[in-house]
Amino acid sequence: MELLLIPLLFALIVAIAPKNLSKWIGLLGSLVTFIAVIARLAAFVPTEKVDLLHTDVITSFKMTFNMGYDGMSLLMVILTAVVVPLILLTSLNRSEGQQRGFNAMVLLMEFGLIGVFTALDGLLFYVFWELTLIPIFLIALWYGAEDRKRVLIKFFIYTFVGSLAMLISLIALGNLAKDFSYESLLEVTLPIKTAFWVMGGFFLAFAIKIPLFPFHTWQPSTYTVAPSAGTMLLSALMLKMALYGMIRWMIPLAPEVLEDYKYIIITLGLIGIVYGAIIAIKQMDIKRLIAFSSISHVGLIAAGIVLFTEQSLSASYIQMVNHALVAVGLFLAAGILEDRLKTRDLSEMGGIAVLAPKFAFWFAVISFAAVSVPFTSGFIGEFLLLKGLFYEHWIIGTIAGTTLVFGAVYTLRAYQLSMFGSPRFESFEDLKWNEIIVFAVITLLVVLIGLFPQFITDLIEPSLDRIYNYIHSVTFQAA
Amino acid sequence: MSIEQLVLLVLALPLLGALINGTIGKNLPKVVSGAIATGVMFIAFALSMVIFNSNGEQRIIHLFNILSYEDLKLSANLMVDSLSTWMLLIVTGVGSLIHLFSMGYMSHDKGYYKFFTYLNCFIFAMLILVLGSNYFMLFFGWEGVGICSYLLISFHYSDKEKGMLNGIAARKAFIMNRIGDLGLLIGLFLILIQFGSLEYNDVAQQILVNGIRPTEAMSFAITLFLFVGATGKSAQIPLFTWLPDAMAGPTPVSALIHAATMVTAGIFLVVRSNFLFELAPTTQDIMLYVGLATSLVAAFIALRQNDIKKVLAYSTVSQLGLLFVALGMGAYTAAMFHVTTHAFFKALLFLGSGSVIHAMSDEQDIRLMGGLKKFIPITHITFLIGTLAIAGFPLLSGFYSKDEILAHAAHHNIGIYLVLMVSVALTAIYMFRLYFLVFHGSFRGSDEAKSHLHESPLNMTLPLMVLAVLSVVGGLLNLPGIIFHSGAHWLSHYLELNTAGLNLIQPMHLESDQAMLLMGGAVVLSLGILLVSFVVYVKRSTTAKDDDQLSGWEMLSAKKLYFDEIYNFLFVKPTEWLSKQFHAIIEIGILNKSINGITLMLSHSGELIRKWQSGMVASYLLWMVLGIVGMVLYYLIKF
Repeated sequence: MELLLIPLLFALIVAIAPKNLSKWIGLLGSLVTFIAVIARLAAFVPTEKVDLLHTDVITSFKMTFNMGYDGMSLLMVILTAVVVPLILLTSLNRSEGQQRGFNAMVLLMEFGLIGVFTALDGLLFYVFWELTLIPIFLIALWYGAEDRKRVLIKFFIYTFVGSLAMLISLIALGNLAKDFSYESLLEVTLPIKTAFWVMGGFFLAFAIKIPLFPFHTWQPSTYTVAPSAGTMLLSALMLKMALYGMIRWMIPLAPEVLEDYKYIIITLGLIGIVYGAIIAIKQMDIKRLIAFSSISHVGLIAAGIVLFTEQSLSASYIQMVNHALVAVGLFLAAGILEDRLKTRDLSEMGGIAVLAPKFAFWFAVISFAAVSVPFTSGFIGEFLLLKGLFYEHWIIGTIAGTTLVFGAVYTLRAYQLSMFGSPRFESFEDLKWNEIIVFAVITLLVVLIGLFPQFITDLIEPSLDRIYNYIHSVTFQAA
Repeated sequence: MSIEQLVLLVLALPLLGALINGTIGKNLPKVVSGAIATGVMFIAFALSMVIFNSNGEQRIIHLFNILSYEDLKLSANLMVDSLSTWMLLIVTGVGSLIHLFSMGYMSHDKGYYKFFTYLNCFIFAMLILVLGSNYFMLFFGWEGVGICSYLLISFHYSDKEKGMLNGIAARKAFIMNRIGDLGLLIGLFLILIQFGSLEYNDVAQQILVNGIRPTEAMSFAITLFLFVGATGKSAQIPLFTWLPDAMAGPTPVSALIHAATMVTAGIFLVVRSNFLFELAPTTQDIMLYVGLATSLVAAFIALRQNDIKKVLAYSTVSQLGLLFVALGMGAYTAAMFHVTTHAFFKALLFLGSGSVIHAMSDEQDIRLMGGLKKFIPITHITFLIGTLAIAGFPLLSGFYSKDEILAHAAHHNIGIYLVLMVSVALTAIYMFRLYFLVFHGSFRGSDEAKSHLHESPLNMTLPLMVLAVLSVVGGLLNLPGIIFHSGAHWLSHYLELNTAGLNLIQPMHLESDQAMLLMGGAVVLSLGILLVSFVVYVKRSTTAKDDDQLSGWEMLSAKKLYFDEIYNFLFVKPTEWLSKQFHAIIEIGILNKSINGITLMLSHSGELIRKWQSGMVASYLLWMVLGIVGMVLYYLIKF
């Protein structure tokens, strides 16, 4: 339970502690959470399921209080516990980082995220899912760019509609089950028609959050107006809730219709890969550029998930971790540029490499990680995902493979336009210690995973196998 | 030390050099930083010689497992056989000379330590490429040299005039290579589907020993995609246009990319996979004709280039075309022979051009040179040797290696032989033009430039001399049987020793009088062109024309057959157009508008939300949801 309580407790402390201490308490809270998570990892055996909270209490509306984790949950919890301290580190010398509200909300977000990744009850999952919306919304609202109001209403309503659809699906399922616990929901066998709508509800919620084409229109503008920390939370962690949700909830709860949705989602994923990449090629706003590139990357992950082979699931996982790390790095770089130049327009940049060699170096490293070169986690992730898609059909694999080429085009373009050429500014403040730490940690993790991905696959394999075998037994019976 | 440890050490040395220079290089004196990078290369070369001398059987060195998941096994393994050992010698040998040269050439550059870091990294990636025991490792190195070449080509990114252009050239190289990489990746997937493994030995075993034959379509698909990968790295039509642009990098980089490393990767891939290509005659034919076309096109373009490095760059593309012709005919060892001699004389020519550019205070236009032989005598003599070698002058290395490919062509199809002879003749023409325009006649540059002319220091001329000697005697490696019977075809025998597949291919034997005839033809051709060039450029002192004086064909050559413009029109512009249209029409016009409409509608109707409240839902939940909505609205109103 400490995994949930620590961030919540620290969120409360930050809220009442003196303002000048809030950023340090916030950071401390995230680090303590990280240590707690690592302790959990050290004691974890991949084949097991561990309960965080298990009671026999069933509320009047059939909700139970089951929380726990297996390998695939734990990995997401670890990811959360790694990324949140990094985000707080990057904010140390930003204006929003000095605020109580900001630090409290980031920790509240961590609480919500860990809840989402460990909830084993449908309604509980939904509650945490919605809960994460509050802090991110407030962070963007309080500390976002000028024109945020209109953008945020759209973001809120959009994701909210998706959540409602998921709620309806959950309730429809729950009505047929003895309670809302994960196990009970799994036991429900749905008529095909009902299953179709149930999965549809989940799909809408997740497709908006990921976001999949054509449900993505809230994303570029929200990423742009949110402060860097908010964008990092959104892209590195929040969208992983949806990808995780697909594996944990959407597919197992209505496996009967996976085949029907599979090609729809793969098609949308493929469109997203190409569409996002092509738009990114000509964007001049660096944050929008990264936002569109993100649509391209997650399209590939979503396609890998619904492909639903054991390898493609693992590959999706590796790529989720990779995407989270790289997204933090890229948005950190974009944030640094925006902060110090007061513009996001690439056409106004140039020559920064000469002025800030450290920044140039680390930005280059992250850019190469973003184009998935060898020795990085993206390389392994993309290799395995593309392999899976290629095995499914060579055309699918080849279309998805264009990400290799397009990714290089827009990433290097952004890098060169901002860094190459002769300086166009008087000066540009080079990286501070906390920024270097963040870049270095990300690089270290990305390279370690790139060389030894086995660590991740060993951790998640048994839990993924369980889901995989379960789905196959169900679909086999149906056939 | 065992061979295994030696190989690991060879691999680790450049990495170590890169680490040292990458971390503390900034604080080291330039000489130390350069000496470290160059030192590790020479040690690596010495160790490679030891490995080479003790070559017995093929060895696999297991490093670690990257991923093992069900039937998929990806391991970091190294393979030492005669092919990889030979590549090891070329890469470390020519590589260390280029490092030594760079110490002098880059001595005025601020980013000295950075340059050597990248160079060492490049060598490391290349070593992984040639030493890996499976296609996955090859792919690692394959992309690795891509990154390093990007860094090196864009090395002068902050230059006031050319900084952005250098960056664009580097990006072009990276992207074109990426297109090839995608092809290679697909080839890898197909190999996995067909053979269930990416290990060279597993694939070779299944084909050569167990006699498993993939379907014709499958063999064709696998080899075709591998070849697509090779066209990227080894600069063949249609992916060759990056290589001449890659001249934006400092000259030693051009020597490294062009001579010893990157571009030979495609050749290496095909030779390594010879057992696959032998199953796919259609791909072999495609390879042959693509190589032939590339060889001709590039040689034609080289005729009227006025940038000393561009001439050499197109010459590389043309020579690579020749190599693919050889590979298409199944003449793998002949191709490796030419790769070797080409590494010698092309490194020599590039470093020589570097020495010229150094003397000319960074001027590369041959119209502004002339008469340099008396100012930079060592560079002149060595450059002349390189020119003669590449032109196939009798008894020099290029003569033998080219001749072997020509002999195969004559045996294969006389038409191909004749077309190749045209390409060989063009090579001699543009190389002698280059040589005479640079070193003979009178100096055409400014007086100021003239006053700066100077021979390069010893650390630059020494590599030239070594390479010049190698360019002369390199032919001894694989002498044709008609001259000496004992010791002939040494390199072929060596490579056939334990390289999978190569030992099974029947060596071709020409009737000796036929061989004499072919050789005689080549000799007459190269001597004739030398004589004509001498008359044209020295006796009549013809100089290079300016653009507005060019005739029709000369314009085509000078403008590179408009390949860049055509690609721009066919691929770049449409993609950019699409990017803008997607954004304007689909993104803003359709998706955003419709969603805005819906959200607007929803935000105005609480009715819809109330409908979900149908009793069975816990009111708690709805309250929470409404609470969130209320709070959001509160904040929005408050603002």
